[in-house]
Amino acid sequence: MTPPNRDLGRRGLLGAGAATAALPLPSGPTQAAVPPQQRPDMTLTLRINGKAHPLTLAPRVTLLDALREHLALIGAKKGCDQGQCGACTVLIDGHRVLSCLTLAATAEGREITTIEGLAGPDGALHPMQQAFLEQDAFQCGYCTPGQILSAIGCVREGHAERPEDIREYMSGNLCRCAAYPNIVAAIEQAKPRMERA
Amino acid sequence: MPDGSMSGRIGQSPVRVDGRAKVTGAAHYASDMAVPNPAWAWLVTSAIARGRIAAIDEAAARAVPGVLDILTHRSMRGEVGDAGFFAGGGYAGSTIRPLQDDRVRHDGEIVAIVLAEGLEQAREAAYRLRIDYAEETPAAGFGSEGAELVSAREASGGSFEDPGVGDADAAFAGAAIRVAADYATPTQHHNPIELFTTTAQWEDGRLTVFEGSQYVHGLKNGLAAQLGLDPAMVRVESPYIGGAFGSRGSLTQRTALIAVAARRLNRPVKLVATRDQGFTIASYRAETRQHVKLGADTDGRLVALVHEGTEVTSRPDPYKVAGTQTTSRIYACPNIRTRVSLLHADRNTPGFMRSPPELPYMFALESAMDELAHAAGLDPIELRRRNDTMREPIKGLPWTSRSLMPCFDRGAAAFGWAERNPAPRSMREGDWLVGWGCATTIYPTHLGAATARVTLTPDGRARVQTAAHEIGTGTYTVVAQAAAEGLGLPLGKVLVEMGDSDLPPAPVSGGSNVTASVCTVVMQACEQIRARLAAAATEGPLQGRDPATLRLLDGALRAPDGAAEPLAAAMARAANGAIEVYAENIPEGLPPDSLKKLYQGKQALGGGLEGKQHVMAAFGAEFVEVRVHSRTAELRVPRILGAFAAGRIVNPRTARSQLMGGLIWGIGSALHEATEIDRRTARYVNDNIAEYLIPVNADVPQVEVLFVEEEERTANPLGIKGLGELGNVGTNAAIANAVFHATGKRVRELPIRIESVL
Ligand code: FES
Ligand code: FES
Repeated sequence: MTPPNRDLGRRGLLGAGAATAALPLPSGPTQAAVPPQQRPDMTLTLRINGKAHPLTLAPRVTLLDALREHLALIGAKKGCDQGQCGACTVLIDGHRVLSCLTLAATAEGREITTIEGLAGPDGALHPMQQAFLEQDAFQCGYCTPGQILSAIGCVREGHAERPEDIREYMSGNLCRCAAYPNIVAAIEQAKPRMERA
Repeated sequence: MPDGSMSGRIGQSPVRVDGRAKVTGAAHYASDMAVPNPAWAWLVTSAIARGRIAAIDEAAARAVPGVLDILTHRSMRGEVGDAGFFAGGGYAGSTIRPLQDDRVRHDGEIVAIVLAEGLEQAREAAYRLRIDYAEETPAAGFGSEGAELVSAREASGGSFEDPGVGDADAAFAGAAIRVAADYATPTQHHNPIELFTTTAQWEDGRLTVFEGSQYVHGLKNGLAAQLGLDPAMVRVESPYIGGAFGSRGSLTQRTALIAVAARRLNRPVKLVATRDQGFTIASYRAETRQHVKLGADTDGRLVALVHEGTEVTSRPDPYKVAGTQTTSRIYACPNIRTRVSLLHADRNTPGFMRSPPELPYMFALESAMDELAHAAGLDPIELRRRNDTMREPIKGLPWTSRSLMPCFDRGAAAFGWAERNPAPRSMREGDWLVGWGCATTIYPTHLGAATARVTLTPDGRARVQTAAHEIGTGTYTVVAQAAAEGLGLPLGKVLVEMGDSDLPPAPVSGGSNVTASVCTVVMQACEQIRARLAAAATEGPLQGRDPATLRLLDGALRAPDGAAEPLAAAMARAANGAIEVYAENIPEGLPPDSLKKLYQGKQALGGGLEGKQHVMAAFGAEFVEVRVHSRTAELRVPRILGAFAAGRIVNPRTARSQLMGGLIWGIGSALHEATEIDRRTARYVNDNIAEYLIPVNADVPQVEVLFVEEEERTANPLGIKGLGELGNVGTNAAIANAVFHATGKRVRELPIRIESVL
């Protein structure tokens, strides 16, 4: 199962026709004729981890590249840039989303949560982060931000009731170091603590 | 940077000191490192495997707004020199040098680099660059016309000898029980989740490269050689690496090209190669074909072992893994013949991938052992017991320690092996055929020269500096544990700095050598500090005690009689402020020039099976249950168990993760992973991680790792054997053997898929 990507696909902006028209691009009669890559930069504001970030971006910039290259929020990782690995997973309005398949422009007005936004202001780790740490649910750590955000989404969706469910609903997040059994253990550890919190 | 405040000496299981950085997104991997105003590079790679570039039309690409330059063989001016093949004493994983001429030598060779203000512009322009090729018919590998077969011995110029003893063919002919079979293993790619990235930045003629590396000193020196620079002018930073598995061990071609691009633009350049490009701009596990013959007496004792293997490589590079070095030494057998050959084809050069020699060759040997057990009517564990030996058979050298049978016994008990009905197709649950299989696993214990600097400050904090690498193996943590042990400090008081070529050199993070090599030298540095403090303790509470008996423990210098002096006071006697020491170590048995080679960034490991006095390896036994659906042939591995003996375990928590990851790698290798190649065009077909199948969470229900205690006295003072590559070696055969037990069908070609058992 790939984490649900909802309607935030790249196709929304790069595809032709109706989908494009619905988006907050600079309007005007020429828009249909201008190839998307030549459209002028747009200004937008992204709400990330509770903070507003004004940005000027080309319309084709993905949310992943906006986070990493324009906002220095490097916690979201690029492992494929094509929706295959889950390393770029973030939460949008609480749902897990692949930020490499999401155009930054389509995330305007939504609440984006990245790995940098999980710990408390005092540095206290989110129960899922704490559980990943204690269960050694990673090795190189590269897939880890995506795994943790996906795991939070998995618990919230109600897909963490049984280990079989966790394994199935976490299978959109690849871990080449293969920390999988420890990831399952971490989610089982964090779930009751998340529910209490 | 690593943090943590828990106690954690050698043998304890603290959580990783870099764990907090990894779970908060604070760990910086190469492409996360900020550089001012970078330009973006996008690679264009060849659409053919063999031929020439006939024409390049740059007009449309250059018309893309934001494009800064396009590098092709026409615009490169010999700026990248030859760094030599690593196996021949150089640095490069491949001697193919892209952009040096109009030749195309393999699919996906770098043929142009587009440079632009932004990554979107670079990508767009790369897609608009038009390249016309004059194509020639390529040889993809086995069965292809034009591929050249040479013996490994010949290819090595005589430096490689196929191991052998006695007269294996005559002994086989006369053996009471005989098996002979052909085996095949596929091309496989590492596919670490971190992409291959490079960021290059020049400041006052000094080059800094941010790149995930398993050997920052090798990369630094190799780049210096390629670019004609003094190595002191090159720095490689690689504090965190998002998985490597061998793919980041040798210098690859892109790095110098990106450095040249940055020099030309006079601005930092950042490259994040795409996933599919990663299949052709780095290395991979070579495809093999193997033949094994085993002859035994009626008791199942081996009398003959023949193992022949052929490995695919590129046209120019004699890369080989030659796992016969291992398979010829595991079991007692008086007559052994081996032979390794290379098949040169129009492919990129293969390279190290987790357990390079052992994985393919042990698949064949351990499958054949299972075939022999079946032919002899013996339990497969009993067959291994009858052929167990404390001396390797080629030269008769002793193993420094070997716990193969204790591993089998522990593993068998935990797995419930005694319940197994040996007859194939005899175990069933509903529609599922159940099979249990096992196999031996082994990984040689390698060691390298290493250096480290350790600084102790009077407030009881230590800093360890060594250019080792954190590729997921837990190196920050085990190095911190060694210093905590050596200096008697809590783990949280130790800061470890690694992954930077400006630090004292440590060996390549390959061959599972680092924990042993680096912990050893760090302990030596700590011993220097202890000795200085002890020598100065001539007055005060420790007056009159023999300095040799004083120990650093729990923040104090302590005598055996209980007298103690707090660290700050002991330090005040010995030094005016901090104590900084540097240590370097050449493990026993390595040549005296090993340190020089280390400083030059050469790859020079010793130990393992090449020793003159003894041989050393970690062993284990792996057990799997497979289920094969009787109607659909769907294949599952509901549980897998490994029992391992690897000397002293520095951190059981991280060691367990390594072995667990290894077992799952083994499942992937046995059931999922193969890079498919179009035999007509010699191009990779499934060059992405949706179609190149790696295990996902749902593929691995139950994995169990057991440690079998083992005392290793010879390999190194700490008694450590590396285990990062131990887990995945036996798994392929264990699964194939379980498939045979489930179905009665012997599958000798990996990966085992539905069509293999239909
Ligand atoms: S980077 Fe988004 S799924 Fe891989
Ligand atoms: S921890 Fe390395 S990819 Fe998951």
